[in-house]
Amino acid sequence: MKHSVNPPPTPDKDVAEAFEKDELTLREIINIKLVESGEKENLMELVRDRLVECGWKDEMRIACRELVRKKGRKDVTVDELIRVITPKGRASVPDSVKEELLNRIQNFILSAAP
Amino acid sequence: MKLSSQFFSDLLDSIIVDVASECHRIARLGLDHNLEEEEEELRLSAQARARVADPSNSSEANSKYTVDIFGQTHPSIANEVFECMNCRRSIMAGRFAPHLEKCMGKGRKARLKATRSSTAAQNRYSRGSPATTYSPYSTSTRLSNGTLGVAGHEDYPNGTSEEP
Repeated sequence: MKHSVNPPPTPDKDVAEAFEKDELTLREIINIKLVESGEKENLMELVRDRLVECGWKDEMRIACRELVRKKGRKDVTVDELIRVITPKGRASVPDSVKEELLNRIQNFILSAAP
Repeated sequence: MKLSSQFFSDLLDSIIVDVASECHRIARLGLDHNLEEEEEELRLSAQARARVADPSNSSEANSKYTVDIFGQTHPSIANEVFECMNCRRSIMAGRFAPHLEKCMGKGRKARLKATRSSTAAQNRYSRGSPATTYSPYSTSTRLSNGTLGVAGHEDYPNGTSEEP
């Protein structure tokens, strides 16, 4: 889950990985292209905007606040919040947003694939 | 395409982590209005309002017990005594204005004293008055607790003014 926050590893390192070599390589290549072209940044901004517009972010913040109230303002950890929010977050993305993003990613892959 | 879904999931997870991190920061710094604190504050302010609104706390009834912001208590009627320059009586400061009204001629009774003898005026007192020529009022219909609808009434030197 940390692919998008870590800098992309060099291709040599990746090729040395044992499992799912082809998929991993392809995925990594596309990831590199996403970052280098700036499309990754554009996509992030687009998703953020859409999720704010549709109220998804507010729902997440409410859920966070509930957890904070339950566990105590000073005792709650980031990991706990992430653990609780992630399933809700993944499930509550509106279909229109998901579709828009998937289309954009698909187009990029098709145009960038070797 | 499965690959694009994977990328979308990664993107979404990043955003979720960002939101969680932001909420965590706000929670730890106490920037967001903490519901528990607010509930406590609401409760305390409701208590304070109840105390203020409670009629048994009004300064009229409880002037000896309620306290101002400097921690001092004051009687509800100013009780410094001095001499009325018109009738030479000893008057309480808090009773001076109504006294002057009677004493100097606003009321019917004060004007009457010019036309009636002082003895006849005295005979109207229901409570028995001191023998002065400047006792301007009281009628036989007057009850001892002063329920004539007059805002205040004259004080007697022995200080027997009533509260409404």
